[in-house]
Amino acid sequence: MSGTRKNAIKSIITALVVCLVAIAALAATTTKGNEGKGKFYYKQDCKQCHVKGAPGGELTPLSKTQAQWKAFFAKGKHPGDNQPLLKVKDMDEEKLNDIYTFLYNHAVDSPQPETCGK
Amino acid sequence: MDRRKFLRFTAGGTVGAAAVSAVYMAPFHKEPQKGPQRVEIPTTCEMCVNKCSVIAVVENGIIHKLNPNPANPRSRSMVCARGNAGLQQVYDPARLKRPLIRAGARGEGKWKPATWDEAFDFAAQKLTAIKEKYGPQATIWSSTESFQETFFKSLGLAFGSPNVERHPTLCLASVNLAYSLTFGTVPAFDLANAKYIIMSGANRLESFITPDTMDLIESAMEKKARLVYLDPRFTVTASKADEWYPIKPGTDAAFILAMINVITAENRYDKEFVSTYTVGFEQLAEYVKPFTPEWAEVETEIKAKDIVRIAREFSDAAPRAVYYAGRRSSWYRDDFQMRRAQAILNAIVGSWDRQGGMVPNQKIALGEVSYLPWDDPTAPRIEDMDKNFPLAAKGDGAYLKMRENVLAGVPYPVKGWMVHKQDPMNALPEQAKTLRVIDQMDFIGVIDVQMSDTAWYADAIFPESTYLERQDPVEVLSGMVPVVVYRQAAIKPLHDTKTTLEISQGLAKRLNLSQYFDYTIDQWIDAEVKELPLEAPLDYLKKHGVWVPPGGPKYGSTLTLEHRFITKSGKIELYSERLQEAGYDPLPKYTTPLQPPSGQYRLILGRRAYFTQANTTNNPWLNQFCPDNQLWIHPNSARDAGIADGELVEVASTVGAVKLKAHVTQEIRPDCVFMLHGYGKKSKWQRLVAGKGGADAEILETAWDKVSGGGAFHETFVKVRKA
Repeated sequence: MSGTRKNAIKSIITALVVCLVAIAALAATTTKGNEGKGKFYYKQDCKQCHVKGAPGGELTPLSKTQAQWKAFFAKGKHPGDNQPLLKVKDMDEEKLNDIYTFLYNHAVDSPQPETCGK
Repeated sequence: MDRRKFLRFTAGGTVGAAAVSAVYMAPFHKEPQKGPQRVEIPTTCEMCVNKCSVIAVVENGIIHKLNPNPANPRSRSMVCARGNAGLQQVYDPARLKRPLIRAGARGEGKWKPATWDEAFDFAAQKLTAIKEKYGPQATIWSSTESFQETFFKSLGLAFGSPNVERHPTLCLASVNLAYSLTFGTVPAFDLANAKYIIMSGANRLESFITPDTMDLIESAMEKKARLVYLDPRFTVTASKADEWYPIKPGTDAAFILAMINVITAENRYDKEFVSTYTVGFEQLAEYVKPFTPEWAEVETEIKAKDIVRIAREFSDAAPRAVYYAGRRSSWYRDDFQMRRAQAILNAIVGSWDRQGGMVPNQKIALGEVSYLPWDDPTAPRIEDMDKNFPLAAKGDGAYLKMRENVLAGVPYPVKGWMVHKQDPMNALPEQAKTLRVIDQMDFIGVIDVQMSDTAWYADAIFPESTYLERQDPVEVLSGMVPVVVYRQAAIKPLHDTKTTLEISQGLAKRLNLSQYFDYTIDQWIDAEVKELPLEAPLDYLKKHGVWVPPGGPKYGSTLTLEHRFITKSGKIELYSERLQEAGYDPLPKYTTPLQPPSGQYRLILGRRAYFTQANTTNNPWLNQFCPDNQLWIHPNSARDAGIADGELVEVASTVGAVKLKAHVTQEIRPDCVFMLHGYGKKSKWQRLVAGKGGADAEILETAWDKVSGGGAFHETFVKVRKA
């Protein structure tokens, strides 16, 4: 195989990988996840570090607007240590999406009309 | 008839009466038993939604009296008529005592007693068959709030059905949505400290007696607050108000818009509050220009000069001025618009988070049992909330739209109906449609303490233990002073009954859903109380029945520049972009209501404080005050129809007709008639009200509020004639 051809194939593969990563990142920012499960995972995985006095500081769904949560999950990293969210505990794409859905649906500017009882 | 026969007949009658009396009184005549002579057990009432604290006085295993528990500021030293009558729920000889499976045709009243295993097996088999043939979405799970409702809801969702229908869609949906969209929350009303109160049809001195009622009485009577009351009927509240206007039904929004017109035009609004905490004032001020008091006089039949004066007095009294939101169902298809107008009026005079105004509720955080929940249902809700009611509380559904779709079989068939602590036969208008839904069902299962009309038509009945026989989860009552209330059993269950958790677990086991119910009630409660700032929270709650955090009401916590309201803009939204984006009016729309044609009347509804919806009319201690309902009708209308006071009349709409006695009175507008709810029952086990009086559910036409989807109950015109 010629050098240019090898390079071309390499570029195509790189481009594909970039696309897949981008799609994965996009997938992580849909709001069609399971917010019930998202709440469970949030408490299990995120809350350890995100309560008062803990390293991550207190964080609840009300800590951000929907736009802010969307931007945060699009980036997919913790700003403090640049740690990818997918590397937290036993996180995966689906769990992350569930967590995102939960936080987005209960953000400080989300439409969440009150009701009687639970 | 000869003397012997007569004596036998009378003796039989006396014996009969004595027998009935003996049956009711039997528990109180038991021989004294060994054991604790007298204990007082603090618990929480369940006779209505208020959840007052009570203390059950138990002697030799029998509850003799329910007393107030002054420690709870929500109930203070009160136990109302219903609260006292809670005993009769326990000792009702006709209550559900064991599981039942239908033996004859639906509604025939033939039952086969069953063991719990038999009842669970039967129900699970039916539900599974429906799931296999039509999918889990082919089931409706309808419920009313209760401390154990969460388990029932979880069962429905875990089963795979998205169709959980909750009571607010037949009650406060339009109020909740209007205030949520304006303030991001539904506030409390500080009636005890208000100086000017306007109420539209909220008959707080007659329909519902709680400490709020006492606050209103104290404000109005002792502190000389001004009470302006609008109602087509001269109710008890009207009799105590400073001003009563028999407003033309359906025009309250016109009254409010005219008040806003005066307040904005005369610069009587709270400028600093409006500029700091709200958005949309300029649009509002422009929008209300056509809604002059003169225009409103024509709509409402209230004089323009009174509307102007009231608007001025209201704004002068602010921030201790409130237009009370109301605590009941929607009246009209445009109900949401009226509640929005109320919220906006209160906002522009700055009656927010200040003494005497609307005050956001405080909450107390409880812990919870943590478990990985079920997958989301794959099917959409049957009434497509996203399309039809995009802003409404999705988890509650839109009951009447749901029923329409079930009857039409769109978008998919529904074949199963599980009901918890609810009586849709009476709660829904147009009972003929509910009966058609019942006919369509392969299976109907009901959880209740008494044989309601819906239970009467069920296939399987799961008898629930009454609140006085149950341990329930701990609950927080949010409010100006939030409290944690505790409900523990005063006595062991008298009969073969279970709690909703136990019923849910019994069904879950057979539906392979046990993993979502893998806890006892005690474990659930332990998790809840863990977060409370108390040394030994359970011991405290068992002993006191209620925990009140120190501090009292807080005012002003949201009146800071940093505070962000839970709305799109982060401010109080007089103008709502969210409404606009969803295709609704961003400012309250007014539509002149249709009037009843000549010879017809608008049917309006209301409550008396003995009765919780259709629930307690058969309770003998409450029924004695009001053994049947009557049709209120104005003397002019009665004369036109040839009706005398006390005469049996037929009231007919396009969907049904009922018979009840007429109550001819000047205390109602000539264009309206009125009746109470919860009579004319089908269930023969409710002997005091079966076939007695008329069931409004039979004649009310189906209508719902356009934005919230909540049932609208004042949209029916009726004909009245001698029966």
